[in-house]
Amino acid sequence: MKKEKIGLHTFMAIPAFLLYCIFFIYPLCRGIGMSLTDWNGIGEASFVGLQNFIDFFSDKRALTDVKTTLLFALGSAPLLNLVGLGYALLMNSKFKGKSIARMFIYMPAIISPLIMGYIWYLLLQPGRGFIYYALEDIGKGYLFGNWLGSYWSSMIVLVLVNVWQYAGMTMVIYLAGLQSIPEELYESAKIDGATGIASFRYITLPLLVPAIRINVVTNIIGSLSVFDIVMSLTGGGPGYQTETLSIYIMRMCYGNKTGYSTAVAMIMFLIILIPVLISLRLTKTKEELS
Amino acid sequence: MKKKLLSTLLSAAMVISVLTGCQANTATDSSAVTTDTQAETETETTVEPASETEATGEKVKITLFTGKIETIDVMNEIINEFNQSQDRIEVVQEYQKDASSVIKIKFAADDAPDIMTTYEQEYVDAGKYMDLSDDTALWERLYPSMKESCTDITSGKQYRICTNMTTAGFFYNKEMFTELGIEQFPDNWTDFVSMLELIKTEKPEVTPWFIFGSEAWHLGHLIEFIPHGYLKSTLGTVEAKKAMLENNKELLGFGKEDGAMSVFAANLLELQSKNLINEDVLTATSDNCIQDFVNGKAAMLSNGMWVISSILEANPDMQDKIGFAAYPSYMPDSSPVVLSAEDSGYSISATTSHKEECIEFLQFLFNAENQKKYSDVAGAPSAFMDVTADWAPEAIVTEVNVALSSAANIGFTNEKPAGFSGDDAGRLVQELLAGQYSATEFAAEYEALWDAGME
Repeated sequence: MKKEKIGLHTFMAIPAFLLYCIFFIYPLCRGIGMSLTDWNGIGEASFVGLQNFIDFFSDKRALTDVKTTLLFALGSAPLLNLVGLGYALLMNSKFKGKSIARMFIYMPAIISPLIMGYIWYLLLQPGRGFIYYALEDIGKGYLFGNWLGSYWSSMIVLVLVNVWQYAGMTMVIYLAGLQSIPEELYESAKIDGATGIASFRYITLPLLVPAIRINVVTNIIGSLSVFDIVMSLTGGGPGYQTETLSIYIMRMCYGNKTGYSTAVAMIMFLIILIPVLISLRLTKTKEELS
Repeated sequence: MKKKLLSTLLSAAMVISVLTGCQANTATDSSAVTTDTQAETETETTVEPASETEATGEKVKITLFTGKIETIDVMNEIINEFNQSQDRIEVVQEYQKDASSVIKIKFAADDAPDIMTTYEQEYVDAGKYMDLSDDTALWERLYPSMKESCTDITSGKQYRICTNMTTAGFFYNKEMFTELGIEQFPDNWTDFVSMLELIKTEKPEVTPWFIFGSEAWHLGHLIEFIPHGYLKSTLGTVEAKKAMLENNKELLGFGKEDGAMSVFAANLLELQSKNLINEDVLTATSDNCIQDFVNGKAAMLSNGMWVISSILEANPDMQDKIGFAAYPSYMPDSSPVVLSAEDSGYSISATTSHKEECIEFLQFLFNAENQKKYSDVAGAPSAFMDVTADWAPEAIVTEVNVALSSAANIGFTNEKPAGFSGDDAGRLVQELLAGQYSATEFAAEYEALWDAGME
């Protein structure tokens, strides 16, 4: 029998493991316990079993929020990857001012999403926003509509603002992946008569899988758990039309349904986990599969 | 072997240091809880003012928790004066923008502030506040109606003291009204709509009634003042409160097709379809509203007295141009209503271990000089009979007094279900204005949400 030696490194991991238990495992276990109660945040909690979970699936507002959240993620995650990859391919080529361009593309990512939402709200206000005045000055004010006043236009705005803010971050990861691909492979392919598209398909994409995996997973998680940008740009409105699951959880928690909101948080964890696991499975390389 | 021993010792040292840090906090908390428990047991019938400070020589620190941003500076001034006037008690003000949410976390964490301005019926029912009914010397200084406003319907006791009054209604541009020949603000809905149509016809570039619908609380207030106002004015304040607490569907009639809620919704939709409210109602903010009002682009707005300071800050010349009027009657058997409610309330935590110190500070805060200072800054009339404050320009004060004397006075709806706040109601109005509901559907949905919140 092979005995694994317990080295110094194993013991050195204990404090980190303890912190992980204190800040993740313990709150998770408490949360699971709380999700089985009717706690309102201030009084005594009574055990209600799975009633909170049952109530979730019969709550029209909750199911609408799931739909909104999934729609946002379906729009945001793929676009983030496409735009980020496009930026990365551009930044991987040679042109003047590349460093400055890279800086401007990445800069929105370092701004708080809450602030970003407020900035775009001020830009997009109908009849008052900066964009309206800019269009009005060139006689095109009629093109500007109340894009935050209806469901579909609000959703499109939210997705586009989110993509604009975080495409830079996606770009950075793709760029690192691109720059790690040996140049000789492209040279060999060129000698063998491969076109640009063929090189991209058979060389770039397969070798970019690790970067794709990281970006897809992080973008899915970020898009499904979106809160700040929606809260500041639309407040989940008009009404509840752009309310996402994370905003719903917050409102339920402060609306005297703390136990129920914890149950919804558990459900949201599963909603995020499933596509993440699927993505990880789909992006496994042949070597990893074998 | 040596390596193993070394690694074991190093890891043990790290683990012990982490746990020691936690242990120290626990020990401190335990001793504090023990002290509090003993104090509560011993002092139920006896007063032990500042016994802790006298014993230890240290100052007692009490926290005043508030969500009122506009009074932070004046409160700090009063608190500094109090702190400097004696050396036993130190008061610290804690401001939180989302105070009503933060206080909930503090209650859940057993970290309730000593004094707080947040007050909800659910917290009263949960025993979070100290009973302040017995402080007769204080209540005798307040207007009798204020004591009634501060009384909890269920227990008949007072758990907060409100130092100011506030009103809410329609603020309108007097100069514009005079120009248009509108001599009197209408007291019924039909004439009110006709007036808005006149404004729209004569001044197409002006919004007759500006509603900042992106802020759900504002739309929630419209519900509290108009349809709830109808209930309060027809049933009477106490009966209306009881009906809401008991969810008496017969009296409330929220879901009725011709009820107050449905007619309110129908009226709002009518105004929207006739362009008598701003087109960007769903995205407009209170800042947009104030800017348009002071620039003559909006003829009127609905809000409380707290908006006056913002209006005058944006345009000081407005002080003689602001008119104030009650909400017109809109049901067959109703009368115009105006909000006349309690404001700036202070409650003491039921679990504070510094009860006497809290009362001492509040007595200082409530003296006439400090209350005048506070009222002048807050822009709200004082609830104390012995305090005369310059809370607003004289022209506005006159307008308010006329409205208060000519319309039914109503209060805020403090009896809303815990799970259906004013913001939730406001979001429902947003959905109405976004075309998600007809008037009757809105009323039915409102009743369903009210019932669910009551559960």
